[in-house]
Amino acid sequence: MTEVMIHASGVTRNFSISRGMFRGKQLLRAVNGVDLTVTRGEVLALVGESGCGKTTLAKILLGLLPQTTGSVSLCGTPIDTVPRLALARMIQPIFQDPYSSLNPRKSIGSIIGLPMRVQGENDQQLIDRRVEETMDLVGLPPRLLNAFPNQLSGGQRQRVAIARALVNRPQIVVCDEPTSALDVSVQSQILNLLNDLRQELNLTYIIISHNLAVVEHIASRVAVMYLGRIVEQADTASLFQNPQHPYTRALLDSVLTPDPHLGLPNTQLGASYPNPIDPPSGCAFHPRCVNAMPHCAARAPSGQAHKAAYVECHLYDGTETAKAG
Amino acid sequence: MTDHVLNVKNLSVDIPLADGVLHAVDGIDIHVDRGETLCIVGESGCGKSLTSLAIMDLLPKKAIRTLAALDLGGESILDYSERQMSDIRGNRMGMIFQEPMTSLNPAFTIGNQMVETLHRHRNISGRAAHDLAKHMLEKVGITAAAQRLNQYPHQLSGGLRQRVMIAMTLLCEPELIIADEPTTALDVTIQAQILLLLQELQTEFDMGLILITHDLGVVARIATRVAVMYAGQIVEQGTVEQIFDNPMHPYTRGLMQCIPVPGKTRPGEPLGSIPGMVPSLIGRFTGCRFADRCSLVTDACRSDDIALRDATDATQAYRCILDPRAMAKVA
Repeated sequence: MTEVMIHASGVTRNFSISRGMFRGKQLLRAVNGVDLTVTRGEVLALVGESGCGKTTLAKILLGLLPQTTGSVSLCGTPIDTVPRLALARMIQPIFQDPYSSLNPRKSIGSIIGLPMRVQGENDQQLIDRRVEETMDLVGLPPRLLNAFPNQLSGGQRQRVAIARALVNRPQIVVCDEPTSALDVSVQSQILNLLNDLRQELNLTYIIISHNLAVVEHIASRVAVMYLGRIVEQADTASLFQNPQHPYTRALLDSVLTPDPHLGLPNTQLGASYPNPIDPPSGCAFHPRCVNAMPHCAARAPSGQAHKAAYVECHLYDGTETAKAG
Repeated sequence: MTDHVLNVKNLSVDIPLADGVLHAVDGIDIHVDRGETLCIVGESGCGKSLTSLAIMDLLPKKAIRTLAALDLGGESILDYSERQMSDIRGNRMGMIFQEPMTSLNPAFTIGNQMVETLHRHRNISGRAAHDLAKHMLEKVGITAAAQRLNQYPHQLSGGLRQRVMIAMTLLCEPELIIADEPTTALDVTIQAQILLLLQELQTEFDMGLILITHDLGVVARIATRVAVMYAGQIVEQGTVEQIFDNPMHPYTRGLMQCIPVPGKTRPGEPLGSIPGMVPSLIGRFTGCRFADRCSLVTDACRSDDIALRDATDATQAYRCILDPRAMAKVA
């Protein structure tokens, strides 16, 4: 029996955007009806273009933003009823840029130990011991204990951020673009570390990334987001080998694998990403879709279980055949 | 030799700091031909951006540039005055930067900025400049070009802004374009479109293109030739096939093993990595700069400076004293 770590259903988050004086407010649906289930030990990747709502969704899961409607539960408890500190023991974030997420005036030791002090731990010896253990776990040499962030390289800083997230031994870690600010040779070290830690500590990851090569390497399941909705969700192998949604196919086509014998792909995604304040009618993807049919602009597709995947597209919900017949 | 659009010989950039001189770029030789794409690839701090700024003579005031030769279109521009260089920049050499929002002026419309470029370099009427600007926007795939000319940069998306930058660079039909990480700030879907556009326009205008990037996927797909930089030096150069199919230098080989490749690397298996850090470039450096991170290091690597030497095929060169065939057995 697999243990459900995160269960979200019908999660929506609206922001109201001011359009200027006297012109009233407008609604922006950053996340629009997302259902998500993550079990223990899974690595779920959220992929999509900028503005598709992946970071907003992550913030809701972290309890940093309340959802407008819908429900989220962590380890079976609704997120709204969990006290702030208890929530922080369950789920922790790692952010993209290790240059801006570490306080430049605090030593490495006190940065990593801070979450323990926040949780009310006063025994300095215990804190020191745990900080050293955690630094060892993420591959930071003990001599850096009293160093400051500006003395560290990008890779080391990201290790500090990982150590800080892990010091209270959370169950779930949300990584928002964990390697995109790092160089290639450092990126691979951090990916290896995240993988080792997951096995060692039995962690569950949610990874947000736009680098699909990284996603294929580390994730066990992938959810593709477009304009606040998950349009396709499948296990990594089947999503990469057999993408269903036209958007997923276009995304995969635009990945530049380092093969000098292939030219540049022509993704056919003509129109640019739509404005989320004024989303297209029907299926939000239809203005850019190569398979668009007349009724795509009129009706939004409902989710379908198609083969091993979940897809939201009229190609798979039978409306095409129904119309033909 | 005259068919090179750009020919740079022995370029060095030194930056005096409080605790010594930082040798940021050290003895770079590069050349680009018409219709050719040279990719300069390397990690942050290896000197790739400084190299491009040095070619344009846009280095910060503190930095000291030394050069043996700098030829544009067969003519030496080494001793050009600031005034003459400014006639060349944006005219015969164009530059595209990483973040289009910071290189466009937010207080002027797209049209204003494009027409200004034309007035600076061409003796052209306002009407003709406006028409040419509109034509260029259409050329880079911007719909409703006439309306776009009246818009401000903040009204455009990131991909559109980068298209505007490219259109602006093309206005004076330069011989050479230097693009510094042109797609790093963009989404993957837009990245592919912008690179494709650059490639098509390069063929059409028969320009030389220098593309600076850290993304090996971009390099593989667009480059004709590749120069790999490490700690201020070119450690390996060759055609794109040579660099990707048969890398010689241990650093290039290490880089190739670091990247996950869908279908090639097995998901979940550890990726290769290069241990250690880039050495400090302050003060004199003797020996191979990669020695501290190299698994094949010998005493001879540290005793003397290493020169670039030709591989079996003379179009490929690498900066390592080891024999590539012996290395192949180890690797």
